[in-house]
Amino acid sequence: MSILSKMLKNKQKKRQDDNYRQKQDPQKPEDSPILRDYQENISHLKEEVGNSSDVKVREFKIGAHKGALVYVDGLANMISVADYILETLMEAEVPDETIDIFQFMLDKTMALGSVETITNWNQVFDTVFSGDTVIFLQGYNKAISGETKGWEKRAVSEPSTQLSIRGPKDAFTETLRTNTALIRRRIKSPNLRVDAMKIGIVSQTDIAIMYIKGIANEKIVGEVKERLERINIDSIQGSGYIEQLIEDQSWTTFPTTYHSERPDVVTSHLLEGRVAIVVDGTPFTVTVPALFIQFFQAPDDYYSRFDISTGIRMLRILSFLIAVIGPSVYIAATTFHQEMIPTTMAIAIASQRENVPFPAFVEALIMEVTFEILREAGLRLPRAVGQAVSIVGALVIGQAAVQAGFVSPVMVIVVSITAIANFSTPVFAMAIAARLIRFVLMGLATMLGFYGIMLGLMFMTIHLCSLRSFGIPYMMPLAPFNIHNQQDAFVRFPFWAMKNRPMFISKGNMKRSGENQKPGPPKQTENPSQKGEEE
Amino acid sequence: MEKAKVSAFQMFVLIVLFEMGSAILLGLGSQAKQDAWIAILFGLGGGVIVFFIYYRLYMYYPDLPLTSYLQKIVGKWPGRFIGFLYIVYFMYQASRILRDFGELLATTIYNNTPLFVINTLMIVTIIYAMHKGFEVLARVGEIFFGIIYLTAILGMLLIVFSGLIHLENLKPILENGLKPVIKTFLRETITFPYGEMIVFTMVLPFFNDKKKVKIVCLGGMILAGINITITTIVNIAVLGVGLFHRATFPLLSTVGRIQIADFIERLDVLFMLYLIIAGFFKIAIYFYAAVAGAADIFQIKNQRKLGFPIGLIVLFGSITIASNIAEFIQEGSMIVPFYLSWPFQIIIPFILLIIAFLRNRKKKTSPA
Amino acid sequence: MKKWVKVILLIGLSVPILTACWNQKELTDLAFVMALGIDKGEDDLYHVSFQLVNPGNVSSGQNGGGQGLPIAVYKSTGRTMTEAARNATKKVSRRLYYAHTNVVVISEEVARERTQFLNLLDSFARDPEFRTTTEILIARGASAEEIVTTLTILDKLPVSKITKEIKSTEAMLGENFSITIDDLIDGIVGSGKEPVLNGYQLIGMKEEANKAVNLQKTTTDAFLAADGLAVFKDGALIDWIESKKSRGVLWVLDKAKSTSITLKWKGKKNALVFAPIRSKTKVSTILKHGKPVINIKIENEGWLSEANTAIDLIDPKTIGKIEKLTEKAIKKEVQISVKEAKRLKCDIFGFGDVVHKENPDLWKKLERDWNNYFADLEVNVKVDSYLRREGVRTNPFWSDINK
Repeated sequence: MSILSKMLKNKQKKRQDDNYRQKQDPQKPEDSPILRDYQENISHLKEEVGNSSDVKVREFKIGAHKGALVYVDGLANMISVADYILETLMEAEVPDETIDIFQFMLDKTMALGSVETITNWNQVFDTVFSGDTVIFLQGYNKAISGETKGWEKRAVSEPSTQLSIRGPKDAFTETLRTNTALIRRRIKSPNLRVDAMKIGIVSQTDIAIMYIKGIANEKIVGEVKERLERINIDSIQGSGYIEQLIEDQSWTTFPTTYHSERPDVVTSHLLEGRVAIVVDGTPFTVTVPALFIQFFQAPDDYYSRFDISTGIRMLRILSFLIAVIGPSVYIAATTFHQEMIPTTMAIAIASQRENVPFPAFVEALIMEVTFEILREAGLRLPRAVGQAVSIVGALVIGQAAVQAGFVSPVMVIVVSITAIANFSTPVFAMAIAARLIRFVLMGLATMLGFYGIMLGLMFMTIHLCSLRSFGIPYMMPLAPFNIHNQQDAFVRFPFWAMKNRPMFISKGNMKRSGENQKPGPPKQTENPSQKGEEE
Repeated sequence: MEKAKVSAFQMFVLIVLFEMGSAILLGLGSQAKQDAWIAILFGLGGGVIVFFIYYRLYMYYPDLPLTSYLQKIVGKWPGRFIGFLYIVYFMYQASRILRDFGELLATTIYNNTPLFVINTLMIVTIIYAMHKGFEVLARVGEIFFGIIYLTAILGMLLIVFSGLIHLENLKPILENGLKPVIKTFLRETITFPYGEMIVFTMVLPFFNDKKKVKIVCLGGMILAGINITITTIVNIAVLGVGLFHRATFPLLSTVGRIQIADFIERLDVLFMLYLIIAGFFKIAIYFYAAVAGAADIFQIKNQRKLGFPIGLIVLFGSITIASNIAEFIQEGSMIVPFYLSWPFQIIIPFILLIIAFLRNRKKKTSPA
Repeated sequence: MKKWVKVILLIGLSVPILTACWNQKELTDLAFVMALGIDKGEDDLYHVSFQLVNPGNVSSGQNGGGQGLPIAVYKSTGRTMTEAARNATKKVSRRLYYAHTNVVVISEEVARERTQFLNLLDSFARDPEFRTTTEILIARGASAEEIVTTLTILDKLPVSKITKEIKSTEAMLGENFSITIDDLIDGIVGSGKEPVLNGYQLIGMKEEANKAVNLQKTTTDAFLAADGLAVFKDGALIDWIESKKSRGVLWVLDKAKSTSITLKWKGKKNALVFAPIRSKTKVSTILKHGKPVINIKIENEGWLSEANTAIDLIDPKTIGKIEKLTEKAIKKEVQISVKEAKRLKCDIFGFGDVVHKENPDLWKKLERDWNNYFADLEVNVKVDSYLRREGVRTNPFWSDINK
């Protein structure tokens, strides 16, 4: 832990030296107070937004008082504006001309959940552009803002990238509030904290930092906030921006932050003491710190029984390994270490390669690149065309290329196994890292055979071991080895044995479950001999 | 000096990997013929005694590496001089092992590849690890420890199931009495690999739990010793004494014998996997000790800067150390044990311990 | 900026390394040598036949399984093995690759001459490409070239026929067993055990053996068959142990797993067949009047695979009698082999090693003249056979016929 605190201290020091900390949009107008004359206010507003057609102004009269309300068409809910502001305004009976009409309106005419008083222009723009309605009144140098947010948003739908068989079928949407609500619905604890923040000088994107107080490590929460505050960029268009701006190490292909579109995944991460960053406008929520092994854990691991999920997890790690070294092992075995292939197999491969015009490396490279192109093309194309591409691809890769004698059937097998193995990594960010490393290893295998592959893997391991995610070593709990955290790493223990939260990530409340959670058959009073064993 | 903290388990793993390192690959104690394993066990016993010298020294200066407390024990300049000799010794050892390693690859699989290339790639990997610091090295150790053990168990099972083990090859025990065994012990097994624990005096200060040093180091040495003994026994049992004596790399020949179901055979790659991992750690730790020592003596704050130059010295050393393998082995069996291993591993530390003991007694008695 | 200099230096250092591929060899550039045949010519050179595989004609893949012959044999000569191998490159378009060489056939002529035979062996042991599990055979009654050029029907590759055959003989009959180069060298070097090698014969019309026509008949004109064990002494072949007598050798060497032992029952010949399933042999030595005595103890269990006579197999006493008969039969086989070896004054059983291991001091005295000593060695054989089961019939139908 001392290393962590040391690191944090260093970071803080650096931050104090930061002299370009004014995160101001140079184009943004100087902040100034609201004027007393509402007409002037309206004209100032129009001047600022340059007569944007979606900014609507509606003037009204309440009693003898004049005023105007401002909202953005499309962001504000028209029904709210019409029914709960305008209608009540018009029907309101002003009892006395001398009363404070501002307070009267706040008290009596705004039939909305959240109403605030604002005094300066920055607040005006903030609220108007988030979909709220602002009311100026003649003679007051302040304004009322009423919550009328209600833009068109996508409904909660099924996750599209992280599917699960038994898990819940809801996924995050592009709306921050919906997302936080999805999480809040799952953790009904007052300790779940949602800290708001706005990032992006121009875009002013809403961001929520979520964690469970008492379970999350305060140091990590502080570090996350600090790193987020440090971000000085014009806009945030998705959680991917945030990820890249707050990771510990940029020079790596391995993801050091986790992202998910599944509220159940994020919730369980929160309960492990991690911090979630919900970004408005993206259905992907980022959680940190993220460890290597996490990318091999799929939600279904927890919904199916422990023995099955352990086996499947092993399978995933195996397939990651295949995805990384598959083609390079083929190259090494066929061009360097022919002695290690069993004789009959060596002859079979040799006979297939007899008429192939390329060396093994070129053959592998052609096939791998073709496959990557097909995959990339299939990703972007409309669904109907995508299928056509995959059919053409299958024909090109499989049949035609082999029949034309450009590639050997073994190569096709190797490429397909590698590709399929690659798909079994649950998180795309990790799968794509494997794809990149694969090509490097193929090069090494061509030059030095297994020695090259081994050195490449050695480099990779050293690199992985040197990575940290928010101060936590990336290869935890394998290196440094931590016996407590093995409960949910390569092996998933049954829930009754998974008693502790992961160390270092979580701090404080470490107990996950109570004692004696192991289920068993009912204790029979008639059979006293069994009773002893049950305990 | 780098500020690193290493846990008991990590230190244990590093010791096991380091000790097993090249000792398993080479026919350790093959002069003692079928009694090689006895010589190795003797070596372990001797090594444990020698380790206690290092341990006492560590107890006197728990926060300092060897090169620093040398200066405290024998004075600043003499200490620096001896420290410098140690650095040269570490670099020489790193070169030797790098040569061993490259030679093995060059004779078995990469017979057309220049030794220089094989060694360069290895040293580049090691410099990279060194650049990342000792903590990272320790973590890498943990991962590869698991891999090595899995391959070792797998290999062992394959050998057993191939029905290759003929324990009667170990007989007759002590055919020529204890003499050749003791000769091998003094000449070889005490200094290699057990006496090599001297390197760890450079990194023991990183230990985060001072109380466990003794148990961890001894445990590591004993586990490594047992592993080496088992490997030697298996080698003799599979190959027979004659071939064990003749083979340049007995383990490679043993692994080559595995043949199961006409499919699992020629598992040289398994052997190479072990070889690269073990070679990496052994060289890396010697290398690290050299770098840390140099940084300490020449008072260089950022020792990472030293990685590249010292790496080049080790690399060129490994090539120029001998012009052919016969010369290299001759050097290793005749010169290294008597002129390098004994003085650096046993004699100098022992003298240091006596001086340190006298000094500390003086300190204790004088104020009273 | 300094960091960049370093990075550039590192990359610069690795560029020359990365451009070359020293050990790379594409599969299509290799000629897999499956077997080597070594003959002696009149010119005192080794005449080496390289049996190469033609991959396209072996594999039965989509585009494989061609009509041509699966193997091609090239010949070359040289004063040493390496020279012969290098000379062969003048004739072969591809690099000869020995990692898959499974069989080395040495002609009887070469094997009978000590220096010529021994000069071969080191090249096999030293070359890292060569497998240590390669079989070594002696061509009996044929030249090595003839053995190597013969085509076989069932296995496309003649080599796999030979290696599989030796293995199945070892497992099912017990007359030949797998012997590798390491075993051979160990036997030649050690004084306590002399090596034996499998003999191979080409039976039939020799001139037809290497023609494709040979493959188009169900009964081939010429085929390969294992035949006898070649006995070596002082690094040269001295004699053969015929197939009939070789079974005892395997019993003693603990190589016999299964075989068939035909027994006489109440005067009827070939009445019963005992088939061992497992067998274990222990050879030990004791000192008797200052002389070593060898005790061989063979334990085996098996089943009755034939009963061609009326016999009451339900009676445990009968079983006991069959066991006794089997023991006697095995004992006799062993004694024949031992006698044969004694005649040749050649300790092929490794009795010397046993003495060495159990009594090193005595061994030092006997070591020098062991083979002569061996000729007069007292050897005791004890066999314990257990008949465990009798197949899926109780009493044979013979019991009912004769009623």
